[in-house]
Amino acid sequence: MTLSPPESPPELAEPITPEPPATPAGTRKLDMVRVIKTFPARRKAKPVVAVGPVDIHVDQGELVCIVGTSGCGKSTLLNIAGGLETATMGDVSVDGEPVIGPGPDRGMVFQGYSLYPWKTVAENISFGLECQGVDRARRAERVKELLAIMDLVAFADRLPKELSGGMRQRVAIARALAPEPDILLLDEPFGSLDAQTKLAMQEFLLLVWQRTGATILMVTHDVEEALFLSQRVYVMHGRPGRVVEVVDVPFGRSRSTQVKRSPKFLDLRDEIQELFRQPLD
Amino acid sequence: MAAEGRGRRQSPVLRIRSELPMRWRAGLAVGGLAFVFLLWVWESSRSSGAVIVPSPADTWKAVTAAWSSGQLGKDFGASMGRIGLGYTISMAIGLVVGLLMGSFTSIESAVEAPVAFLRYIPATALTPLLLLWLGIGESPKVTLIVLGTVFFNTLMVADVVRAVPQELIKVSYTLGAGRLAVLRKVILPHSLPGVIDVARINLAAGWLMLVVAELLAAQSGLAYRIVQAQRFHQVDIMFAMLIVFGVIGVASDLVLRWLRNAAAPWARP
Ligand SMILES: Nc1ncnc2c1ncn2[C@@H]1O[C@H](COP(=O)(O)OP(=O)(O)OP(=O)(O)O)[C@@H](O)[C@H]1O
Ligand SMILES: [Mg+2]
Repeated sequence: MTLSPPESPPELAEPITPEPPATPAGTRKLDMVRVIKTFPARRKAKPVVAVGPVDIHVDQGELVCIVGTSGCGKSTLLNIAGGLETATMGDVSVDGEPVIGPGPDRGMVFQGYSLYPWKTVAENISFGLECQGVDRARRAERVKELLAIMDLVAFADRLPKELSGGMRQRVAIARALAPEPDILLLDEPFGSLDAQTKLAMQEFLLLVWQRTGATILMVTHDVEEALFLSQRVYVMHGRPGRVVEVVDVPFGRSRSTQVKRSPKFLDLRDEIQELFRQPLD
Repeated sequence: MAAEGRGRRQSPVLRIRSELPMRWRAGLAVGGLAFVFLLWVWESSRSSGAVIVPSPADTWKAVTAAWSSGQLGKDFGASMGRIGLGYTISMAIGLVVGLLMGSFTSIESAVEAPVAFLRYIPATALTPLLLLWLGIGESPKVTLIVLGTVFFNTLMVADVVRAVPQELIKVSYTLGAGRLAVLRKVILPHSLPGVIDVARINLAAGWLMLVVAELLAAQSGLAYRIVQAQRFHQVDIMFAMLIVFGVIGVASDLVLRWLRNAAAPWARP
């Protein structure tokens, strides 16, 4: 089965707004080469090979998704990229430098429960800058800027518990963006949202991505979400999880939800879902 | 067919976890207090022989008399001084060790076993030893309060710290926070309301230790006054001191609840 790259441009892939100039693209941001993760043996159980070997890369300005069934090691890979876990084997680098631990150059967003509940929206967004010793005036300026981008200006002084699920994830994204990371790592950021909010957040993420030129790697188990958002989709499957297919998504940088009804979109979706029906191993 | 409708009608008052209006709840609380009070009045009215129960009025007289003579103030000050010092030390140790235990698996492994063992030695059983070692001054009493509460405080603070969501810690690292910043700016503020709750709950054990210490060896204090009163069969004074204990307990509970809500409005239910 060949899913990539498409020979002819798909019919409904016409961008709704004009294509912005390509980013100073091509430069490799994140590079994961032959990464394997093994979790050590527990009690009498044998060591678990959770992922790998897996090759994944994200270039400057790209939005890339990893899609896969539950337990195939998506979060593990993202945590390795974020430096929160170490790869058992393989090389992980950002801008050519090896990843040895977590840092503000790789902002992360999780599924939920990761806002500081005692901090207001503005204070949450400001935390990363504070940790880097950015001075107060510069912090306030950056927070203001992000509140505007994230459409949260009216909620600057609210506590997370006073926000809706969608807003909370917007704050989490803003907080990760604040220290101007080289790459944004998102682990099922919309996984706990209802269908309508999720859709709105997807469109919102596309907008933020276009406006900020951020480089994004996102994990999801939602095939449509992956196809709608990204330029390239890594399809993971099996135990240990491997990349079974790399899909180049042919829909351009700006897209509307209409893309989701195009035959090409539906074809790709069905093909990926077919992959998931393959038996494990 | 006389079916009224589907399902079983639920009682508005006796439903499990029913949401009663505030006035109902206040009314029931007053009712509960009144019941205990009436029981007391009734018992005192029929008391005779060795089982003397002073009436509420007599008890109140004993309280005011002790107060105006300055005796109550002195005893209160002595007891509060002991528990204030002892419990502050205990909470300070509990906070530091609990924070480290809940945060670092290495420290947890090293500390958990000895603490778990020491915790099961009833602190009250150490009183004779403490008197032997430390004499009969203030130090054995303060030490007993510390020993009787510090292990509970430590283990419970460690539990509170462990409840800090892993994602919150992970995300902090990816925002550039180091270990110290995570401890100070994430784990500590997240644990604050839980720590105040721990202090509130274990304070009762602190009072227990204080009373034991004062019953055995003291020259002042609320519990010492009870022993003294026993010698002279002053049951009204004994009751007066018991009431004072109860009032202090309720007051400290309310203060710590208020403190929790004031310090961490975000954690208010
Ligand atoms: N700390 C750990 N110790 C042992 N095994 C682990 C650990 N973390 C993850 N695993 C195993 O590694 C595999 C991959 O887990 P991971 O959380 O990365 O999957 P995932 O693709 O993110 O799944 P989901 O979609 O449910 O989030 C799973 O089989 C899991 O059981
Ligand atoms: Mg996951």
